[in-house]
Amino acid sequence: MGEKSAPFLAVLQLLRKYNLKGTEEILKKEASLSDVECDNLDLPEVELANILTAHHTESDPYSYECAYESLKKFVETSLDIYKYELSTLLYPVFVHMYLMLILHDHNEHAFNFMEKFRSEQEDYCQDDLKKLSIVKNKNQIKGNELADIYSSNKFTVQLSRDASSQLKRYLQEQKSSTVIINIINKHIQLEVHDGPGRTQAQVRATTGGVLGEATRNENRAKVYYGLLKEPDIHVLPLPVEDEEEVEETPDKSKKKKAKKDNIFIKKPKSDPNAPPNDRIPLPELKETDKLEKGKALREASKRIQLGPESLPSICFYTLLNSGNTAICADICDDSTLLAVGFSYSVIKVWTLTPVKLRGMKSAEKLQDIDREAGDVLVRMMEEKDRDTSRSLYGHSGPVYKVAFDPFKTLLLSCSEDSSIRLWSLQCWTCVVVYRGHVWPVWDVRWSPHGHYFASGGHDRTARLWATDHHQPLRIFVGHLSDVDCIQFHPNSNYIASGSSDRTIRVWDCLTGAQVRIMTGHKTTVFVVSFSVCGRWLASGGSGGEVLVWDVATGLPATLLPPSHTAPVHALAFSRDGTILASGSIDCNVKLWDFTAITDEATGEEVASNNAAKEDKFLLRSYPTKNSPIKCLHFTRRNLLLAVGTYEGSS
Amino acid sequence: MGDSEYAYGTSLSVDSMKVIAESVGVASLADEAAKELADDVTYRLKTILQDAVKFMHHSRRQKLSIADIDYTLKAKNNECQYGFVQPDFVPFRFASGGGRELHFIEEKEIDLSEILYAPPPKIPLDVSVRAHWLSVDGVQPTVPENPPPLSKEVQKLESVDPITKLSKPTNKDAAGKPMCGKAARLKASESVHVKQLATHELSVEQQLYYKEITEACVGSDEGRRAEALQSLACDPGLHEMLPRMCTFISEGVKVNVVQNNLALLIYLMRMVKALLDNQSLYLEKYLHELIPSVSTCIVSRQLCLRPEMDNHWALRDFAARLMAQICKTFNTSTNNLQTRVTRLFAKALQCPSQTNNETGNGPSMASMKESEKTPLASLYGAVQGLAELGPEVVKVFILPRVRWLGERVEGALSGLGGADRLAAGNLKHQLLKVLAPVVRQLRQPPDLPEDYKRDYGYLGPSLQQAVSKVRASPSGGGSGGAVAVVTCTPPLVPSAPSPSIISHTAKPVETVTSRNVVIASPAPQSPAPSTPPPQKFVIVTSQQKPPQAQPSSSTGHIVVHSSQPTVVRSQNVQSVVVTSGPSGGAGGAGAAPPPQKVVVVGMQQPTSSSNQVSQAPVSVVTKPVFARGGCGGPPPPPELDDLSHLA
Repeated sequence: MGEKSAPFLAVLQLLRKYNLKGTEEILKKEASLSDVECDNLDLPEVELANILTAHHTESDPYSYECAYESLKKFVETSLDIYKYELSTLLYPVFVHMYLMLILHDHNEHAFNFMEKFRSEQEDYCQDDLKKLSIVKNKNQIKGNELADIYSSNKFTVQLSRDASSQLKRYLQEQKSSTVIINIINKHIQLEVHDGPGRTQAQVRATTGGVLGEATRNENRAKVYYGLLKEPDIHVLPLPVEDEEEVEETPDKSKKKKAKKDNIFIKKPKSDPNAPPNDRIPLPELKETDKLEKGKALREASKRIQLGPESLPSICFYTLLNSGNTAICADICDDSTLLAVGFSYSVIKVWTLTPVKLRGMKSAEKLQDIDREAGDVLVRMMEEKDRDTSRSLYGHSGPVYKVAFDPFKTLLLSCSEDSSIRLWSLQCWTCVVVYRGHVWPVWDVRWSPHGHYFASGGHDRTARLWATDHHQPLRIFVGHLSDVDCIQFHPNSNYIASGSSDRTIRVWDCLTGAQVRIMTGHKTTVFVVSFSVCGRWLASGGSGGEVLVWDVATGLPATLLPPSHTAPVHALAFSRDGTILASGSIDCNVKLWDFTAITDEATGEEVASNNAAKEDKFLLRSYPTKNSPIKCLHFTRRNLLLAVGTYEGSS
Repeated sequence: MGDSEYAYGTSLSVDSMKVIAESVGVASLADEAAKELADDVTYRLKTILQDAVKFMHHSRRQKLSIADIDYTLKAKNNECQYGFVQPDFVPFRFASGGGRELHFIEEKEIDLSEILYAPPPKIPLDVSVRAHWLSVDGVQPTVPENPPPLSKEVQKLESVDPITKLSKPTNKDAAGKPMCGKAARLKASESVHVKQLATHELSVEQQLYYKEITEACVGSDEGRRAEALQSLACDPGLHEMLPRMCTFISEGVKVNVVQNNLALLIYLMRMVKALLDNQSLYLEKYLHELIPSVSTCIVSRQLCLRPEMDNHWALRDFAARLMAQICKTFNTSTNNLQTRVTRLFAKALQCPSQTNNETGNGPSMASMKESEKTPLASLYGAVQGLAELGPEVVKVFILPRVRWLGERVEGALSGLGGADRLAAGNLKHQLLKVLAPVVRQLRQPPDLPEDYKRDYGYLGPSLQQAVSKVRASPSGGGSGGAVAVVTCTPPLVPSAPSPSIISHTAKPVETVTSRNVVIASPAPQSPAPSTPPPQKFVIVTSQQKPPQAQPSSSTGHIVVHSSQPTVVRSQNVQSVVVTSGPSGGAGGAGAAPPPQKVVVVGMQQPTSSSNQVSQAPVSVVTKPVFARGGCGGPPPPPELDDLSHLA
């Protein structure tokens, strides 16, 4: 009885309020309610209204349509400065009306309601509506991913103060709109901000998340987006380097040294936005790592300055005969190795230089080597040259991502079999299997300093791991759908993750907290990448759009003009941070002028028309011959390497 | 059932449910139950599909595969489908009948033993990596690994609607040439917008390339020519040079047809062929230059200095084939290309036949006189040109003129001029070749020589024999191509008044047709299988000798490069095809350094020496050609001794 009596009690309270004794007695008798229940009637006003309206609307499916029409009319007739903000309210109201109609078993009405109004919703909602519209009865709501998201979370709508008071007035005036009041109370979170109403473009820039816009409060926390102070590793190996250089090219060394000095002068200035170096513990650099770093620095001094007037050369590696089986690729930092993950669970590593891939000597032979010898690392490798490619076997499902560690000794891979594997590039065997994800793992990335890595998968979590722990150090929960891509901040303190819920979130590795949520993508985010300076974040979506975000504020800096027509799966910044390259499976590599993008974002936001923008930002587009791009990589000297698979001439 | 008409019209129908229920042994499923089931299954299928799309995206594909569905099922804790593997797409068949529609997968019965005993399938090639430059300092090089800078569709669009090109000049800038800093700044500062015209400047590299290519194409080095033609046929990014190339070809034809330089004409036609073969070019814009050139090479009355000796027939055949290819590729309802070309050729045959039918009124007699002068070589070209356009064209345009053509042939054969007799023989042979398959379709057996004589005049009896020959060998008749040519030669021998000459004249055609085979399809290589008994073709492989001048001995047009006459059994052997390399001319245009030779040797020694060379008609240029005086033509061509490179 308990549940059923609630409406009766509410009615009773109402009758008592208006002092209608006779009716009250009759009702009591007919419903056979005990006096005890009736005596302590003290439902709050809101709840009373709630119950009564719910009762009312349950019986009248037509009221939904009227209410929605009236809300629409209200939005349309409101002033332009409120209109666009208010219009973001329509979609969540529409969705919840649909779900409520179905909950109350008005399936036919729900269907008609959907058919009537779905086409009026924003274009980026259509995919979700398509998914939602397959829900056709009560039983299906439970367990449906999207319906669950909507019913268990609040949709965020940002309104200016004036707009929200307009809305309030409207809701009070309208007697029929109790349905809407209910929905707004239960499922929508109205964020009121001070300041003028936003324009259509502004609203559009940040809407798009499954649950609406990010609220400002969520992006309050400070993010140390500056770069870490480089440890002074170059002091030690440098003299050696110089000597080598002198030997190699005695005539040019002077010039280079001057350049190098420039680099040193720039670096040590302490950045107010940089985190303390010991904010998260970073691994000590080993001797070999230092050598590698030294090499990198030397290479860096030789790199070409890129800009809109000096575009990079692109070397394209085509995978032939792969027939749709090659999924992902990665090129190691010094551009000597290429790894490709295949759908038949194999990983292949190619060498891109004449240096062959060597394995380690067998255990017996290794014992004979003098461990104190200076060249122990060379000695432990097999002498004779081996193949130009090697295969790594171990996964039992498609390999969705492979990643070289910064020092070229390890390789990570993640797969549909929900495991992450760590491979040694010296023994060419699997070293560790990290199990923790429940469902397929979509992406895995190394920290720029090694040791740590991050992964994201179908189980809607992003995880932070260290190579020496078999369990994750942090589990970042919050995404409402698959975590499709992940990326470390250059200072290793933060992780950005992109998801099918069309948001990008930035997590703090130290606290595990979500420090940024970025909405504005209208489609699934497939790739995120931090700029070299650490302040900007570029992301590519399945609709082919590329966005640039300001990590400092969490707001989109620029929406690059749409140019790709298929999902963007690769983004790369040139080493000097002036060029952004994007690669898509529409077989195009595009170069963007990143300096211009950031200049505009930091300077005055001048409203320039789109065509001019396109001219300004998009530098060049290079089509490939039916070869979707799987990976982009700038070498240390700023040569762009791209990897794609040839898909036949059809 | 109303529910199945949902907007995203994809609900399983109640009927399907019932059918499936029956198939698993549930005899009568209630409507209600079926409806519930249909709704539920539809919902489940859709959620699975929605998730499968995620797997597809993460595999960086745009096509959903069966594996994606399997992984989704796995992720949802369902069992995958086993053994349902389709590499590319699922070939659903559709059938309807009795108001019911059915989609099904056609499953063929597989014989296991067949699989067991079959040779194992080829091991797929291993994945390999190949590097190339996608861009060099911001400029995309036009190498075969990169897509053509201007796709064929765009070229097509531009040729139909040139305004599209003008409306987006910036795009072109972005795709093609680099915009170096200075130019960019200039462009930015330029405030006056001049109407953009299609740019025609070539870069220095392009000019160099153009020079190299054109020189190589008409030069004397066959190896270089092969390379150049290969480049023309394969390289992307030639579209900017196309206008010049086409002008080069058209001017070249004009000059050389006047000078009767057969070799150069052949080289130019090979250039046309290479351009046509290039996948990344769309030539429609340049047809106005190419078509007159090609048709000149088909119907011009004289193409070489010594019509009685040089094999200009091969050029006509080759050009006719080019014309057919052009028609097939570029014919649209707006340009009516094929109709116009057909009309052009038909005109050469038309006037006289009309006058013939009208039995000589005054004016028509005059026109008859006029048309009588149409040289046999042009007639040959016209016939060949029409024949390449298909049997239907042959039926409509050649067959009705057979009687008149026969008269011409008869006249020429009985005449004195050696060149004319040769031409007539060729023409006759060609007519029989193209007509036999068509007549075979038209007429019912029995084939009586008298009927043929009545219907087709002079050529009737020969035609009758050719037809019966075709009927006898079904395969040859069916293909109607070059193989049929070989089979239909023998009847010529007895029926012709002077067999020796006929066999002579027939021969060059055979060389051509054997090349035909090579061009059309490399597979049916040798004419040997269908060789009729009375004739013997001996294929002799021989090492290439340095090209020697054609011996203008008494055996006029007989060229013997092979020093192996022993192979040839004299008397009943009529011709020998000498070719180097057993693979015929399959890679003729490729890079075989010693060019292959296909030479027909007629061994009929007792030829009535047909060398009474009637002076060939002084070079009168046929219609499509506009002879330009004063064009400094190239030096006299090298001796034409080799046509095999036509392949």
